[in-house]
Amino acid sequence: MSFMSSKLDAYEVRRKRPAKGKIGKDQKHESADKHVTGEAVYIDDMPELSGTLHMAVGQSSEAHAEILSMDLSAVKAAPGVIDVIVYDDVPGEKDIGPVFKGDPIFATGKVEYIGQPLFAVAATSFEEAKRAVLLAKVEYKTLPAVLEIEDALKQEFFVHPPHTQSKGDYAAAIKNAPNQLSGEIYVKGQEHFYLESQASYVVPTEDKGMKVYTSSQHPSEVQKLVSEVLDLPINYVQVEVRRMGGGFGGKETQAAPWACMAAVLANRLRQPVKVRLARQDDMVMTGKRHDFLNRYTVGFDNQGKLHGSDIMVAGKCGYSPDLSNSIVDRAMFHSDNAYNLQDARVVGNRCKTHTVSNTAFRGFGGPQGTMVAELIMDDVARFVGKDPLDVRKINLYQDGDITHYGQPIEHYHMAELIEQLENESEYRKRREAITIFNQSNAYTKRGLALTPVKFGISFTAQHLNQAGALVHIYTDGSIHVNHGGTEMGQGLFTKVAQIVANEFDVDLDMVQVSSTNTEKVPNTSPTAASSGTDLNGKAAQNACMTIKQRLVEFACEKFSVNSGAVTFENNHVLIQTDKGVEEFGFGPFVEMAYMNRVSLSSTGYYKTPKIYYDHANATGRPFFYFALGAACSEVEIDTLTGEYQVLRTDIIHDVGQSINPAIDIGQIEGGFIQGMGWLTTEELNWDESGHLISNGPANYKIPTSSDMPPIFNVRLFDRANDEHTIYNSKAVGEPPLMLGMSVWLALRDAAASVADYKVAPPLDTPATPERVLNAVMFAQQHKAGAV
Amino acid sequence: MIRFCLNGQWVEESDIDPNWTILRYLRTNKRQLAAKEGCAGGDCGACSILVGDLNPEGQFEYQAINGCIALLGSLHGKYVVTVEGLKEAEQLHPVQQAMVDKHGSQCGFCTPGIVSALTALHFNRSQQSATKVSDHDIHVALSGNLCRCTGYRSIMDAAHAMFEYPAPSEHAVINQASVVQFDPAAMKQGVQPSLESQGRHLYVPQSESELQELLASYPDAKIWAGGTDLGLEITQQFKQFDRIISLHQIASLKVVTQSQKEIRLGAMVTYSESEAVLAKSFPSFVQLIERIGSRQIRNLGTLGGNVANGSPIGDTPPVFFALNAKLVLASKQGEREIAIQDFYHGYKQTDLKSGEYLKAIVLPKLTPEQSLYIYKISKRKDDDISAVLMACVIEHNGKTITAARVACGGMAATPCHAVKTEQALMGKPFALSSFEKASDCIAQDFSPIKDVRATKEYRLTVAKNLVIKTGLECLGGQ
Repeated sequence: MSFMSSKLDAYEVRRKRPAKGKIGKDQKHESADKHVTGEAVYIDDMPELSGTLHMAVGQSSEAHAEILSMDLSAVKAAPGVIDVIVYDDVPGEKDIGPVFKGDPIFATGKVEYIGQPLFAVAATSFEEAKRAVLLAKVEYKTLPAVLEIEDALKQEFFVHPPHTQSKGDYAAAIKNAPNQLSGEIYVKGQEHFYLESQASYVVPTEDKGMKVYTSSQHPSEVQKLVSEVLDLPINYVQVEVRRMGGGFGGKETQAAPWACMAAVLANRLRQPVKVRLARQDDMVMTGKRHDFLNRYTVGFDNQGKLHGSDIMVAGKCGYSPDLSNSIVDRAMFHSDNAYNLQDARVVGNRCKTHTVSNTAFRGFGGPQGTMVAELIMDDVARFVGKDPLDVRKINLYQDGDITHYGQPIEHYHMAELIEQLENESEYRKRREAITIFNQSNAYTKRGLALTPVKFGISFTAQHLNQAGALVHIYTDGSIHVNHGGTEMGQGLFTKVAQIVANEFDVDLDMVQVSSTNTEKVPNTSPTAASSGTDLNGKAAQNACMTIKQRLVEFACEKFSVNSGAVTFENNHVLIQTDKGVEEFGFGPFVEMAYMNRVSLSSTGYYKTPKIYYDHANATGRPFFYFALGAACSEVEIDTLTGEYQVLRTDIIHDVGQSINPAIDIGQIEGGFIQGMGWLTTEELNWDESGHLISNGPANYKIPTSSDMPPIFNVRLFDRANDEHTIYNSKAVGEPPLMLGMSVWLALRDAAASVADYKVAPPLDTPATPERVLNAVMFAQQHKAGAV
Repeated sequence: MIRFCLNGQWVEESDIDPNWTILRYLRTNKRQLAAKEGCAGGDCGACSILVGDLNPEGQFEYQAINGCIALLGSLHGKYVVTVEGLKEAEQLHPVQQAMVDKHGSQCGFCTPGIVSALTALHFNRSQQSATKVSDHDIHVALSGNLCRCTGYRSIMDAAHAMFEYPAPSEHAVINQASVVQFDPAAMKQGVQPSLESQGRHLYVPQSESELQELLASYPDAKIWAGGTDLGLEITQQFKQFDRIISLHQIASLKVVTQSQKEIRLGAMVTYSESEAVLAKSFPSFVQLIERIGSRQIRNLGTLGGNVANGSPIGDTPPVFFALNAKLVLASKQGEREIAIQDFYHGYKQTDLKSGEYLKAIVLPKLTPEQSLYIYKISKRKDDDISAVLMACVIEHNGKTITAARVACGGMAATPCHAVKTEQALMGKPFALSSFEKASDCIAQDFSPIKDVRATKEYRLTVAKNLVIKTGLECLGGQ
């Protein structure tokens, strides 16, 4: 039995019912069945070609030091070792900095963080490679290391110069306001903890090129860097990504170094080389979310409305620039979150430290910037003695306001969204109940917070806001689509397939999305900045429209009708002729077009309109639109231990017109929990010499199922995007992460209750039980009159 | 040679490195790739597989375990099902179908592990015809599975829905063990279970006398109980042990006996098995055990291993201190009994002599005047290592505290008593003020360190507050 007849309904059936899997419908992830059966192939699951070797990397044990000598003789002699490479063995470019230079593929002369690659080993097994690297003898001369943001700020030790955005006379506005307040928060970073660690499989090709299978969000960058280290033109290197076992930004730039090293080994040996980082190596050697030290001074009236703001954000960039320039920029862009800072100055510092180079992580600095806005709202609310929600509401942007970087606020439905959540979560009623609960419980306190999220959508590097796609229709009507985006679990392939199916109004199972491949769609942007569907969906739609136009032209010519007479409906093509409606199954129609020599393949392309940012003048419209959302969380804390649990969370989030509600809700829930983890249990710790001591899941704790709020209501804000995005949807990858802030502020609210809400106790993040207990003790001392 | 059943096929292996884990074996030798390596430390659950065996009540059940740290040799005599074995022809298992229908996977990397963990719950509950599961049941089943994408709600929904689908047929691989094939006694006959490769050995003694002979001959051999800590030396530090003795088939080490006065637990009783045994006499201890590691870890890890391993952050030793437990140590020379207080000499240093092993733990039952309070302080509720663990046995007559035993983990290089705190409670009025006063002694009892889990100051403060919390709970709440 043929595939068509066994898997698909007959055309008569498909004519009568709507096409399956259209946009706006819950549709399972394209790999869902393969996920649950274990048939989905990740890099480490690929069949190994004969002669495949395994790579491991020797690492620096000093944060900042001169390398006096490196004796690798024992490494080379270790069982199973085939080859060892160092800096000088790299034939081409030796600096693999993704945007700015500064990342030597291997350290040479000096090391600048613990875990920095010194050399790589290829051995016949993973274990042999790992055992061999331990045998290196390296002598160092230790140099003074800068490990903290504070020290870098004092020394003005930066990877890039500071950037300032300003609007109006902020100093006068603050000074002339009825009240002034200053504050500070240290926001620790976050480990991505994608379940699949960094992995690549590099296979030499017959023309001295390389085929690279990698778990990367940015195949084109891997392609470019591999070609550079091998001193080849880019067209000699082909990169393919079927799927990642999670990315979250951690595989935007951080996938490339290992692929480059493996490519150098594969090139020397002409043998395939596989690399997958052991979890601890991954945690030590790859960048994380930046720590930020944020400070503010604000002026405000007695209602808590801001008059002026002066904000400083400082990101811990690590030893090299990586993407830190854009990340600190995005923190600056989001230091207002949902609020009008009024006359304002925002300064962003890019601090250099002798630690691993921090990198993209869901939100890309935005969350860390947002933290300062929420801190301000909370601190001001305690100062004026109002419910923090009321202070948030009076400070919300209004349409027509201008941000501190010059972007006009449009289509800003935040007040309505908050109001809806306030009602649905019964905020006021629960606030009263909590106040009574707290008065009658000495050792258990509850807290409540409702926080909004406004997140700018677009890469702030303008050129990245473009995408390509490739669509083929075969003679049976089945469709193949390829695009520049990568699948990391977010459902991009599913959504793009839905878009293509929708364009031709055919069943979703007629559409197949294949691995991201630099041979099919070139010069792609990373799948990042929440832009995957916005960019690639539009590019795929563009390709469909090209083919569709050809099909319509063909029908017009063949049936002597004008284009308005041709429609695509329920897996069919309908042509309104003088004699009535001619009806063709999509497949037969396509075959007829083929027989009449119509091209059934097209590329598609998209670039985001309207956006620009003038860095020199710190002004522009960096974002095409804003994604909005809000969360309300209630927590309970134990004032003797600082332990806590989240009791309930309600979320309303704005995805525009949803292409796939099930996938969008999955992104919102996952983003919220990840954001909550960042601000509660996930704590990165380094020792005094710069060793990461939270280096595995035994001591770095991401949320488990029991950390999920037992009452967890997530709803979509039902409103189409006012901008012309793909089907008027909105990006959803990053924004929900910041919904987790409601948990942090609910914890702070619970601690503040100890002092009758008269003080905003300091609560740096992550708010571990230890920090919550410290906040409680601060409030207790405040109540006792000590502070 | 060792023998086990893998997805319905009996497998015999002999020439395999004894240091190989189940996961290494499945992925390398069998190309069974559903189980993934996420951390190689038993913390993420992506490697979860199902191991079937008869439970202490003689019923067949499956347990999800971490294939990444469990040794292949520990499978001898077991019935193993991986995710590859769940589908019946093209029909997904109910757990798989529910996960698809409820959108329970995103990147999919953790998914086979989650399917395994839920399938254990599904199978074991179906056997008991208890097809309603609570959120708590699901959280316990999933306590060892990290998902970084979904936020778990969809997975919870799938778990609630999994019983709504038609059960696998009796021909399904997962049902074969109990229905047709599983006969461990017949299977073991004539097999001297061991692995040997390149001069490295793994032994699976069937009795204590065999164990004693092996230990006499190879005093340096690694004794492998659950291996949930020891396994990490292989998978994280890439050590290779020359001789490993796996205790998992010695029936006498799994024996539990109860009398009026005490419960005697064989050293190889796993955490999971102990939950039922201890439920009646020590409910607060069972609540703690539910927070030790994850379900997968508790299915592997043993009480004896937790004690004999000698780690200062093991969760059960402070409880055993507070309960005045006795340890039974055995060797070829005979048995001896020792108070647990005398067992620890220093960091990972114990009183075990060469050739000696821990045979049993003897727990005196509480008198009606005594109560046991246990507090575990960690960043995360499930599957976390304690920053501080406190166990207290308080005895009172309603007016006076007549005895107090307070023991802590995480506060010193070994588990130990808070001696001054205990003294400060003894003979004092049974009132909160006594506990508040005594709590000041914690700072004299301990000088903890700062580490990745907590600062010194927090450890001291929280331990002090836990003494007060004990008082509050003892006195009946606030």
